[in-house]
Amino acid sequence: MSFNARITMPAQAKAGEIVEIRVLTRHVMDRGGQSDGKGGTVPRKILNRLTATYAGEPIFRFDMHTGVSANPFVSFTTRAVATGDIVFEWREDGGATYTRTARLTVT
Amino acid sequence: MSSAISPRSRRPEGGLDRRSLVAGAAVGLVVAGLPGRAASETAPDLAQLIARVTEGVAPERGRITLSIPALAENGNSVDTKIAVDSPMTEADHVRWIHLIAEKNPFPDMARFHLGPRAGRAEVATTLRIAQSQKVAVVAALSDGRFVMTDADIVVTLSACIDGG
Repeated sequence: MSFNARITMPAQAKAGEIVEIRVLTRHVMDRGGQSDGKGGTVPRKILNRLTATYAGEPIFRFDMHTGVSANPFVSFTTRAVATGDIVFEWREDGGATYTRTARLTVT
Repeated sequence: MSSAISPRSRRPEGGLDRRSLVAGAAVGLVVAGLPGRAASETAPDLAQLIARVTEGVAPERGRITLSIPALAENGNSVDTKIAVDSPMTEADHVRWIHLIAEKNPFPDMARFHLGPRAGRAEVATTLRIAQSQKVAVVAALSDGRFVMTDADIVVTLSACIDGG
């Protein structure tokens, strides 16, 4: 498996507090176009989208093109409103999806 | 004694000498350089790329802090941080932030979609920069206006050359 993700965020937050979420992903982000040695070219294979939902509500979306580095890092913020799961979903070229979940407890 | 070490190392008599070869190579280089220059002139410039993103609206300058190194040793991964001065309320927030590198093979690099729930309009990522150029950031505000800023970056090892 060439995909892995490390999500760094506080496990607890006070209601109304702004939480920073940092996501480091392991992925080659192959931009394609290289020769495959058989006269053709290698197709593009990158993660093209990361969406984050917080207790079911979308809070952030990151559209990636070939200008995002291999092993992409992204950080963003959200306001802690209620205890719930933050679900991260990546979409890869070709239709594969990867999901990771982190729980935020609001005190 | 002027005999050569081996018969093959003798200087050719009537053929090309070194001087004419060097002159010919110089002409070849100049000719080879011409199509490259013509291609870069026809590439879309930054103003056009921004206009396409904003659907023709001219963005105002300012309100965005773009933190990007002025000199990047490795263009394959350039740490970039963007902060937009916005209260991030329901009435006044940043809808999205778009990153453009005019000389990348694919100039649109990434777009962050935010909303009032973000609390702060602050994002960071790692970019792939093909060569020394100007990197622009366009942000769309909830009232339909656009703001932008740009920064020059010098890349020592450019992306899109090696396998990385």
